[in-house]
Amino acid sequence: MLRRSLLTAGALALALLASGLAQADPVQIRLWHMEQPPQRVARVQQLIDEFNKANPDIVVKQEPQNWGEVYAKAPAAIAAGNAPDILFAIPDFTTVIKGLGALESVKDFTDKLDKQHHFIPATLRPYAYDGGVWAVPLYNMAISMWYRKSVFAKAGLTPPQTWSDWKKDAETLTKAGLYGAGLPANKHLYTDQTVYAVLVNDDAAELFNDDGSLRFNNPKTVEAYSFYKDIYKFSAPDATNWTWGEAEACFDSGKCGTVLQFTVISTYNAQGGDPADLGVVAVPHADGLKDSNTISYSNAAMILAKDPAKRQAAEKFISFILEPANYGRFLNMEPGLFLPATEDGAKAESFWSDPLAVKYKAQIETMIANSQHGMLFGFTKDKVMSSIGAISAQNIIAETLQRIVAGGAAPADAVAAGQKEMEAAAK
Amino acid sequence: MPRRSQRRAARREAIFAWTLVAPVILWLGATLVYPLVSSLALSVENVRIIGSAGRFVGLDNYLSILSASAFWLALARSVVWVVGNAVVQTVLAMAAALILEQTFPGVRVARTWIVVTWIVPTIVIVIVWRWLLSTSGGMINPLLIGLGVINEPVGFFSTATSAMTSLVLINSWRWFPFIAVMLLAGLQRIPADLYEAAAIDGASRFARFRRITLPLLEPALFVLTVIGTLLSFNVFDIVWLITGGGPADATTTLPILIYRTAFKGYRLSEAAAMSVVAMLLLMGLAMLAVRTLAPREEGG
Repeated sequence: MLRRSLLTAGALALALLASGLAQADPVQIRLWHMEQPPQRVARVQQLIDEFNKANPDIVVKQEPQNWGEVYAKAPAAIAAGNAPDILFAIPDFTTVIKGLGALESVKDFTDKLDKQHHFIPATLRPYAYDGGVWAVPLYNMAISMWYRKSVFAKAGLTPPQTWSDWKKDAETLTKAGLYGAGLPANKHLYTDQTVYAVLVNDDAAELFNDDGSLRFNNPKTVEAYSFYKDIYKFSAPDATNWTWGEAEACFDSGKCGTVLQFTVISTYNAQGGDPADLGVVAVPHADGLKDSNTISYSNAAMILAKDPAKRQAAEKFISFILEPANYGRFLNMEPGLFLPATEDGAKAESFWSDPLAVKYKAQIETMIANSQHGMLFGFTKDKVMSSIGAISAQNIIAETLQRIVAGGAAPADAVAAGQKEMEAAAK
Repeated sequence: MPRRSQRRAARREAIFAWTLVAPVILWLGATLVYPLVSSLALSVENVRIIGSAGRFVGLDNYLSILSASAFWLALARSVVWVVGNAVVQTVLAMAAALILEQTFPGVRVARTWIVVTWIVPTIVIVIVWRWLLSTSGGMINPLLIGLGVINEPVGFFSTATSAMTSLVLINSWRWFPFIAVMLLAGLQRIPADLYEAAAIDGASRFARFRRITLPLLEPALFVLTVIGTLLSFNVFDIVWLITGGGPADATTTLPILIYRTAFKGYRLSEAAAMSVVAMLLLMGLAMLAVRTLAPREEGG
């Protein structure tokens, strides 16, 4: 009898211990992001620490990755059953992960967040297609034109609004000993971005027809490439090898009169630049058009976790990040680069109180205004072609330009070849 | 010793030998044979993205890549790359080895420090050269303008010819010290009395180099040619990090094309087929080199 009682008591104690342990086990969330610079990792960690402290039942852990590898690494991790619970994304990357069947729509969650924070439409649009929303917008980046006011004043120029102005300014600045237009022609994402920034300013934003067929090879696209070719003459001779860093270096060294960039604020400031002398305007548009558009990259978070408890914890963490008190600090992991994806974030004290944001307030306001007119190739309609992932990853838009400026092809021939490559990528 | 005991001893010896080599065989199996077999299996399927499922398509991928001009163009560029590197590296390495074989103050330090470019990480080399050759703050353009070689800054990676040439020179700059050290070791094994005898017989410096140095360096040069060719062919990092295969595909060698096909074009099986073809080509090349270039055994 005594023995049975002892056994029962022991089993009960073990069960209680086990349930206690189970309750004490916090939900583990693995976060993969591609913001590798140390200051960005440190800022994300700071926010994670605050979140973990306020939510003892959840432990978020960051595992920084890089963009160069994540396109191969994330699918491999998903296949191996070792996927992160939250994975940062840009729109074309989302199509790759969605194509693997690893995503569930987060529309209910984004609807809830939208009511609280009001997403800027341009940030949500690239993730809302095929009847769902596939990632939660976190921050935006948009290309603008950067210049030095003193250089323009000295040359008797005003910032360009149209392509004619741009060409005239570039010629004048080049005669003054500068590279009048700092534009890349590398087979690289940066060139995809600058070319698309020109395409969207000539009504050539659409890559696909409504039926899903490609419409890259059209007169407007050819016209835009011809203009890029013309103005590229005023860029640096090594621009066929430029990524963002080289363009920024050209501007910072004073050799480039203008550059198309997401931002130059951080490096400009680090070199002791005068905030009052730094000019930023929208990318000039074709002469027949009225307004400027640009390319914008809405960065977002995909939730890959399948377990309901993990999904809930992931949503809680993302909600925490988007709270205005935290959101500005999150965006300012790289001040002057990451723009708000929400309306209340754009007004948040935590965003505007950063010393660099205070110093460059006028420029950042212009960047935000430009970003509202942002578009992204392949993500301009309600339906997204899954082939856009391969088209984007192969930098076919940039390759088309290289055929023209480095290979000597006529714009019409290069665009026709580009469409063929896109069709091959889409197969 | 009775025959039975002999057999037992031989068996024990064989077991001992297999025990010694087993770890290496297992290691090679895991790191070489398994990936090779996986690549072969992948190359006859139609897998696009890593981790996704595919179905058996037979030799379709091989037919597809062998009928595409992109593959043959990349292979041709790989040949240019390998030959360019072989020539430049051999010339530089031979010159360096001949200099380092001399006796002069500081030669020991020079022999040690020559390997610095070889041990520096690739990414550092890429950053240094991109910066040196840049038109925004780089040193080479102002230097060449100052010397009157050029009138205005040039883009070293802006045309097909200049991009490939620049890459070959950068890669050769990195690797020639390794070859130089190997050749130096070969040079130091050549008996000095051979040179003395030749000098007494009135042989010129060039004749001594041609008749003594080169023939006696032949074994070292052969090994370096085979290994260097295989290594050069497979170089990916420097090309990818500096030009990404551009401009207009001018530096897209076979490894770059394979990477792009797999991870940019999401055609993993096609890339696997290219890898298999490249492996067969390299194996064939190595066997051909062994048969035709290997130094003959004296008196054999």
